[in-house]
Amino acid sequence: MTRKDHPLLEVSELVTAYGKIEALKGVNLSVEQGSITCLLGPNGAGKTTLMMTTAGILKPRGGSIRFAGTEIAGRAPHAIVAQGVALVPENRLVFPAMTVIDNLQAGAYQRRDRVETGADLERMFARFPRLKERSAQLAGTLSGGEQQMLAVARALMSRPKLLLMDEPSLGLAPLVVEEIFRIIADLHMDGATIFLVEQNAHMALKVAQHFYLMEQGKVTFSGTPGAMAEDEVIRRAYLGSAKA
Amino acid sequence: MLDFLQSASDGILFGATYALIGIGFTLVFGVMHKLNLAYAAASVGGAYCGLLIVKVAAGAPAFAVFFGAFLAGGVLGYLVYLTCFHFIPVSNPLAALMATVGMLLLIDEIIVHETDGVPLNYPAMFDDVMLRVGEFTLRGDLLMVFVVSMVCMAGLLALLYKTRLGLATRAVSQQAVAAQLCGIRVGRVNAMTFVVTGLLGGIAGAMIGASVGTLSPLLTTPLTIKGLIVTVIGGLGSIPGAIIAGLLVGGFESVLQQFRGVTERDLYVMLLLFVFLVFRPGGLFAPKGGRD
Ligand SMILES: Nc1ncnc2c1ncn2[C@@H]1O[C@H](COP(=O)(O)OP(=O)(O)OP(=O)(O)O)[C@@H](O)[C@H]1O
Ligand SMILES: [Mg+2]
Repeated sequence: MTRKDHPLLEVSELVTAYGKIEALKGVNLSVEQGSITCLLGPNGAGKTTLMMTTAGILKPRGGSIRFAGTEIAGRAPHAIVAQGVALVPENRLVFPAMTVIDNLQAGAYQRRDRVETGADLERMFARFPRLKERSAQLAGTLSGGEQQMLAVARALMSRPKLLLMDEPSLGLAPLVVEEIFRIIADLHMDGATIFLVEQNAHMALKVAQHFYLMEQGKVTFSGTPGAMAEDEVIRRAYLGSAKA
Repeated sequence: MLDFLQSASDGILFGATYALIGIGFTLVFGVMHKLNLAYAAASVGGAYCGLLIVKVAAGAPAFAVFFGAFLAGGVLGYLVYLTCFHFIPVSNPLAALMATVGMLLLIDEIIVHETDGVPLNYPAMFDDVMLRVGEFTLRGDLLMVFVVSMVCMAGLLALLYKTRLGLATRAVSQQAVAAQLCGIRVGRVNAMTFVVTGLLGGIAGAMIGASVGTLSPLLTTPLTIKGLIVTVIGGLGSIPGAIIAGLLVGGFESVLQQFRGVTERDLYVMLLLFVFLVFRPGGLFAPKGGRD
């Protein structure tokens, strides 16, 4: 089990490659229990590769991923879900020709506690009222924001101990982005541990307690929001232009 | 006019077996995005295995033969999965396809070898029943074939839409990565898809044997082609499409056989396929969201 002095997720020297090209070149980072940790980085830095490797979709070439004290690097996705890790993938990836309810049921696929799953379904509908209104609608016909909420709710249906989110604000209107971040803050209040990839550093600053910056497959900065706002390079690249 | 109605209705009833074969092709494609060309051959193989029951226990009821074909079809489906998909690298788009071609030829050879190339009698049910409305008749055995096939399709739909396995199957076919992120084991779903379509195929083979009265070793190739035509006309990946296209092709070929003869019949079926490819290449139902 997790000891207090150990982070919930601990990634060390992780290497993942596509063919000959290494997208992760020895990544080291950790996510503390109960925190929101945010990973920033330019396009192509390897953020999605890290998320997909942690979730078991991609197999690492080397290094380790320890989750709650257990080594999960290279294990199959279903085993990692069973450990309590859920990923809200980049571009949402809802099941387009399935209803909202069926999407949520798929998220609870590994659970056998029917009654509790039903109760969680109701909790999701309470948290995401718009999903409730559209519960019988096919997911492919939802708006981008609704699909993002569905993807988050689907991941939560497995009752994860760690929620990974890959650019949940991607391609959404500012108001919807605010709503997504309000939900992230709510989840955190309820005790969730969240590891978030985000390009929108301004929004991330409002919720995250720790930041990492990844560039070309390596972590190049690690620090608190304060330290990040101090860092000249990061400020210019991620906070500069949008300040006005 | 009566001839037309008669041959059309006979053909539509028989077409239910084509619908089953079409479903088998389409479901595997929907889930794995790959064609299983051994499917119709394995279905015929399953039907032959059903006959083994008569060999062991002479005078076994037709029902037992059908059930044997059903089970054997499922086993063969799993074997096809293991030999042509499980151990074959997915990265090579042609490898699995060619493996299924090899399997088609192998099953075909085994059937010819084991039967000395001679058609075997196949049992039926209700073949002494004949419903008459004036000159128009409905053969009892064809009705049985139709009803059994429809019950199997209903069972499949219930499986897909009412069970946990069905949920997983639909999830994998629509978004395989997301299905894995939900904790669904894609390999297992793939294997189960082959078992389930194999069960349906065994029944389809048995129903063909029952309605024709014999099972011929020459059946595998034409049935493969019919199944693929049904799949294309229905829309690759669409189950309702395969059902409707199966009935359509069955009725169409029967009418053409009535008016143009059995030798010309398949020419017109090919023409029908051609018309579809030109004017509606996606088939009757291009599946919505079927391919991410
Ligand atoms: N399937 C793939 N095959 C080959 N190379 C890939 C593949 N997916 C990603 N890459 C490469 O790996 C590197 C990291 O990609 P990744 O998607 O992890 O970046 P990212 O940080 O998520 O970028 P973005 O902000 O655009 O989402 C990039 O150079 C990319 O071109
Ligand atoms: Mg990305």
